[in-house]
Amino acid sequence: MHDTEAIFTELRATLAELFELDPARITPDARLSEDLEIDSIDAIDLLDRLRRQTGRKISIEGFRSVRTVRDLVQAIHRVVNEG
Amino acid sequence: MAYVFDAEQGAGISDRTAPRPFRDLHYVRVVTTGLGFLLFGLFGTILGFLVVPLLLVLPGARSTRQTRARRMIRLAFRSLVGFMNQTGAISYTLSGTSLLGRPGQLVIANHPSLIDIVLLIAFVPGAACVVKRAAWRNPSMVLAVHAAGYVANSPTETMIGQASALLDSGECLIMFPEGTRTVPDRPAHFHRGAASVALRAARVVTPVFIQVRPPHLSKAVPWYRVPAIRPHYSLTVGTAIDPAPYRERPAPIGSRMLTEYFKSCYAPGTRTT
Repeated sequence: MHDTEAIFTELRATLAELFELDPARITPDARLSEDLEIDSIDAIDLLDRLRRQTGRKISIEGFRSVRTVRDLVQAIHRVVNEG
Repeated sequence: MAYVFDAEQGAGISDRTAPRPFRDLHYVRVVTTGLGFLLFGLFGTILGFLVVPLLLVLPGARSTRQTRARRMIRLAFRSLVGFMNQTGAISYTLSGTSLLGRPGQLVIANHPSLIDIVLLIAFVPGAACVVKRAAWRNPSMVLAVHAAGYVANSPTETMIGQASALLDSGECLIMFPEGTRTVPDRPAHFHRGAASVALRAARVVTPVFIQVRPPHLSKAVPWYRVPAIRPHYSLTVGTAIDPAPYRERPAPIGSRMLTEYFKSCYAPGTRTT
């Protein structure tokens, strides 16, 4: 899971499953809160799932400025590609 | 929450010619309510600055200290409730409280008044509580909440982690899904934190229904606006909720469904048991 395309595809499947969303709504520009109705408590559940998927210790700090799906993909990309 | 004058309380209003007990007079209850707060503050300060540090210094494992601290807080609150009852500031009835304090039990309650948490802690043995983060910044409370292993309500991620760990290790936890006192005449707003914690770690969720008639120490009024007649608190323990079925859906969906279920339990007019 190293390039952003692959991350996006996998993330879209995860979001669709976790939040029972139509995958068509999950576009790179979709805003997590306003468009997909994902709030701060959901973010905690999502982060847990991402930790399990990536096998990495992900801290919520790196995700505080995430607003869109694209931001999320980039945050995951940073985590996965560090050290 | 609408309140209705039942026969017992109605008599106090219409029957003006009969002498009321001294302690029931309005101005007396303002004084006893104020005294209750003063005592709570004084007692809390003494406990917080003298007794708890002693507790922390005594030998023993952290879990023993925690048990002692929780017992101490419970006894202090029990005395405060007793004081308020004996002096006529409040009256109260309990139903089913022997069901509280079980391992892995998440106790939830509505939050109509400032002192409903005092009543709950007074009657739920061995429980921890999710309280406002501000308690850790209060010098007379910080050592007590720390020694008792209470959980701060923010940041949310930390709260969920600590609350889940606590339930996982077989302790009992009290949470107010509303997070703050209900604003009278507005529908209650239930946050999903309690459901999220329940789905992660609770063996059972037990709802407690707190009614105060007439409204007392609510978010809308200052403490000295004591109601015209002695407020009566009733704590009723409702039917236990099994979180397991809600774990079959993905966590965000399950926690929404469980929160909706909590809301429906507390909707006005619903049977509590």
